[in-house]
Amino acid sequence: MFNVEKKSICLGFMPLTDSAPVVIAHEMGFFEKWGLNVKLTKQNSWTTLRDKLHSGIIDAAQMLAPMPIASNLGLYGENAKVISPMILSRNGNGITLSTKLYQKILSQHNNKASMPFSASLLRREISERKKQGDKLTFAVVFPYSCHYYQLIEWLRKGGITLSDINMLIVPPSNMVPSMHSGDLDGFCVGSPWNAKAVRESVGITGVTSSDLWQDMPEKVLGLMSDWQAKHPQTTSALISALYEACQWLENIPNRFEAARILSRARYLDTQIDVIAPSLIGSCLTLNNTTPRKIPSYHQFSSLKDPTFNAPAYKSAETIADLMQECGQINAQQRTELNIASIYKKDIYRTAFNT
Amino acid sequence: MLFDLIKLTKNTLSIPKKNIKNQQPLMRLKVLLAENNHVKAKELMSVLSTAQYDIYHIGHSGLPLLKDVEQLNPDVIIIDIESPDRDMLENLNQIAKFAPKPIVVFSEQQNTDTTINQMVKSGVSAYVVGDVSQVRVKSIIDVAIARFDVFQELKQELADTKQKLSSQKNIDKAKRWLMETKQLSELDAYHFIRKIAMDNSQKMDDVAKNILSVASIF
Repeated sequence: MFNVEKKSICLGFMPLTDSAPVVIAHEMGFFEKWGLNVKLTKQNSWTTLRDKLHSGIIDAAQMLAPMPIASNLGLYGENAKVISPMILSRNGNGITLSTKLYQKILSQHNNKASMPFSASLLRREISERKKQGDKLTFAVVFPYSCHYYQLIEWLRKGGITLSDINMLIVPPSNMVPSMHSGDLDGFCVGSPWNAKAVRESVGITGVTSSDLWQDMPEKVLGLMSDWQAKHPQTTSALISALYEACQWLENIPNRFEAARILSRARYLDTQIDVIAPSLIGSCLTLNNTTPRKIPSYHQFSSLKDPTFNAPAYKSAETIADLMQECGQINAQQRTELNIASIYKKDIYRTAFNT
Repeated sequence: MLFDLIKLTKNTLSIPKKNIKNQQPLMRLKVLLAENNHVKAKELMSVLSTAQYDIYHIGHSGLPLLKDVEQLNPDVIIIDIESPDRDMLENLNQIAKFAPKPIVVFSEQQNTDTTINQMVKSGVSAYVVGDVSQVRVKSIIDVAIARFDVFQELKQELADTKQKLSSQKNIDKAKRWLMETKQLSELDAYHFIRKIAMDNSQKMDDVAKNILSVASIF
């Protein structure tokens, strides 16, 4: 048990399936067990979540894995010393195409398209649209997100560059409505919004992040560096409670319970038949067809490997490389970036060594 | 199909905002108010529309909102901090090279003044907290726009300085090459470059670049 400096903690999260660790730590009493009284506050945009963490309105946040780097470099607004002492989840994203576009592509390729869906199948449609001065429109949830890099990687593998398409930022909950209205031809988003598009027959999910980069860190715990320095014991308690929740989520029978809890209004406010599939390793592809089996669709922890949730330098370096490849940071920023000062393995270890 | 974002950027950037203000002090600024709550929107509008602002209220969200932003090309966007559309609007310039707009965020949360200052420092253009019907809303928006313009000017200045530094480097390199290969003095080399530039109505930087590209052949 830790001698926590601050008992009442405000933790910000975004309503997505992989907010499960913070929601479960709260609902299953893990925070309480570790001496914390955590108030979960649902956020509606990553920008607002970031602003609230930077300014101390929230003490901690579930963040996109690249966000701490972006904050340290001041890629938006002033730079802020955000650190991450823990990985909360890996994988969990998917790329969905509109049913309309999918059917067009099928007709262009003798009704043959296997899963995972290759972006090269889009090339014909892209060149046909080019003749008419038109482009396909894709969306991701945030510029500094694995979604962005995954969509670019998927397109690149299919011989498509970013200049071949329109790219927009759209909040997760608006992806499906924007596909209904015909404004989006595809998107890369986290669960449960891919499954929602399939259930509503407006989209088909062709690829998951597990198909692209197996076990890439997706969400991390974010803290301000000076907050952490003032609250080392509280940080350890937070990590311990969240680790317990992540371990709890690795028991598949628990995952349905997680889906049931997440569907509540104060969390995802969405039907359980949209949330549960990805949690139990099922990727809905087309509505009313057999789902794809993706056992690692959501990885929250590992029952065998205790370092699974420790900040991983190698993955963080990969994220920084991707940021440079996409032109978000320059060579000098990349060289000067000190990953070990942002993704703090030592703080993670401290939580388990005391 | 959807937006011609690049074209819009060009249109916007070709008219420096500051000049408009100086030359036409009566020019009204276009303010887009993205607010689903009509009561709140009405209050804000009644405060703002009296002065130098033309205010447009948009009650919907998502991509339709983006289309309105494109069409209206507003000088300011006001949006609630709790709106999910914030990511979409704030990151337009990150992805699409869309002309950036100052975004003023308002909130009903009773944050302390220190927190507001911190929030503004961390990248938010301005915060309007509490009762939006107060007259101070107008002055906050004035400040937000001024702050945004200063930031844009600084960015432009930095780009200009970088450009100047790099052209000075080119000229120095070209001078050195002329001095070594043509046995000219430094002053003669400089005059040589300047004369070609004047004769051809070119920038010295461009002449230097041409000389260097010739030099690279040898």
